[in-house]
Amino acid sequence: MLRPRLAFALCVLGASANAAPGEFTLTQFAPGVFVHLGRPLDLDAPDHDDIANVGFIVGARCTAVIDTGGSVRIGRALLAAVRRQTRRPICYVIDTHVHVDHVLGNAAFAPLRPSFVGHAALPAALARSRRYFLQHYAGDLDAPATAEQIIAPDRLVQSSLDLDLGGRVLHLRAWPVAHTDSDLTVLDEKTGTLWTGDLLFVQRLPAVDGDVAGWLAVIDELAHSEVRRAVPGHGPLVTDLSAAFIPERRYLRALLDGAQSAIDLGQSLPEAIDRVAAAEKPQWLLWDTTHPRNVTRVYQQLEWK
Amino acid sequence: MGVLLPMAPLLASTSLLALTVPAAALAEVQAQSQSPAEDAWAAMRTYFYGEREIGIADAAAFSLEAPASTPDPAATSLTLRFGAQDIGQVRQLRVIIDNNPSPVASTFEFAQGARIAEIELRVRVDRWTSVRAIAETTDGQLQMRSVWVNAAGGCSAAPTAASGGALGEIRFRNTPDGRSLQVAIRHPNNSGFQIDPLSGNPIPPHYVSHIHFSASGRALLDVDTGISLSENPTLRIASDSALPEPVSVEVTDSKDAHFNASWRGPASGGETIGDAAVSAR
Repeated sequence: MLRPRLAFALCVLGASANAAPGEFTLTQFAPGVFVHLGRPLDLDAPDHDDIANVGFIVGARCTAVIDTGGSVRIGRALLAAVRRQTRRPICYVIDTHVHVDHVLGNAAFAPLRPSFVGHAALPAALARSRRYFLQHYAGDLDAPATAEQIIAPDRLVQSSLDLDLGGRVLHLRAWPVAHTDSDLTVLDEKTGTLWTGDLLFVQRLPAVDGDVAGWLAVIDELAHSEVRRAVPGHGPLVTDLSAAFIPERRYLRALLDGAQSAIDLGQSLPEAIDRVAAAEKPQWLLWDTTHPRNVTRVYQQLEWK
Repeated sequence: MGVLLPMAPLLASTSLLALTVPAAALAEVQAQSQSPAEDAWAAMRTYFYGEREIGIADAAAFSLEAPASTPDPAATSLTLRFGAQDIGQVRQLRVIIDNNPSPVASTFEFAQGARIAEIELRVRVDRWTSVRAIAETTDGQLQMRSVWVNAAGGCSAAPTAASGGALGEIRFRNTPDGRSLQVAIRHPNNSGFQIDPLSGNPIPPHYVSHIHFSASGRALLDVDTGISLSENPTLRIASDSALPEPVSVEVTDSKDAHFNASWRGPASGGETIGDAAVSAR
């Protein structure tokens, strides 16, 4: 049993980004696969627009950007980083899901007229979120903040889609409701690197906005795939995907089982927030803000199951 | 209540005030409450309690718990507890969320001798606010507890993924000892401040307005509710001993629809007797 643990300890490359303010770090994780690691901050922290992992993959013909960050500012910094690596055009901007920290940078790429690519459910998910984003994250868009800056995909993935960047094919897969209802993964066939979006959180506590049981099913499938190298939605880069899923699966299982048990025992929601999965706390970043939200959400979903 | 200030003037009719407030007057009070917290409370204090003295209760006698920063602005749990000496000695309890567009979240009228030790309710909290609970004892004293809650957007939050279902379905959940019973009502409880996120159109208010509880055939609790309750309004009551069964609830909403259900005790495992009867005029 020692080996998997050791493997996990070794599979995490680099610590979370400790860049000086204003510096946009970039890591080449595999040939032509570039990642900017987000910071482990809350959604209302001053640098909350820079918490997600974003990046791009360069092919012989063109480049695909994967997630664009939580502001137009981060999107522009990512665009500048692309330009420092390649002169090839950006043909695709791929959004892994609806969350604000992954999509608000889309507007930075709009003038280049790429094809925006996302899960078939993403346009509706964005439509539901636009008003909320404008109310709470207006400062992360160009002033004056407008709904038009929150860009929806023009190319939709129903179940799977291949994108050819020239000598390099990306396999996109749309998943059933898990972290959100619009989760999309991107596999770079050439290097065997999987971009998981927020289906995988490393070190940062997973945030539930979809269906925990559905998420656990997706984890089971991905953890048993051939893929080993992965870019998680949050946290350090991964070289043993199966091992990297272990803490997330353990937390989500404890959350789901704990919330169901609390309901069955007639425990109140505040009691459930205190007790459910409490043993997991030392393992995760941002527990105090994220865990109560997760319990509240799952408890309310299960109440009416 | 256990630890109290000197006797306040007794106004026997005060507990009826909430039920007899003219709508226009209430609207005026609530419009004033859009201004900052202290102003909102000052107007409501005068409106509901006049010049009567309101003491600050000892937490052992009467407590109000809420998260300092709510995990869900649209469904924030407030828990109220009464000390052992005060159980059965409460006549009325009013919960006020100062900075909500409709600040009076609920007014509970206790039946004489109702041995309620604890009440939990789930509320919408629209922005940073003081939340307060004012209890009136059977001897006419007023006691208050308050907490600050940081929140944003609870009243305008879009319907959740858990919305929908059979309108008026009522679910009971109890602790194994039968002392605590949660009543959850399948209802959108639309606040009137929500926008349909897809169409952009406002969602009209449609909310649970009253809940009557009885236990073993006798009145237990009457609750005036409103748009500050969460979607799928959920109340939990607990006593210092097993609740006398069956506990029946009769729910009325703002469209004058009625929903009823009964719970017949811990042995039933939370089972509901009789389907939720639905009628609307």
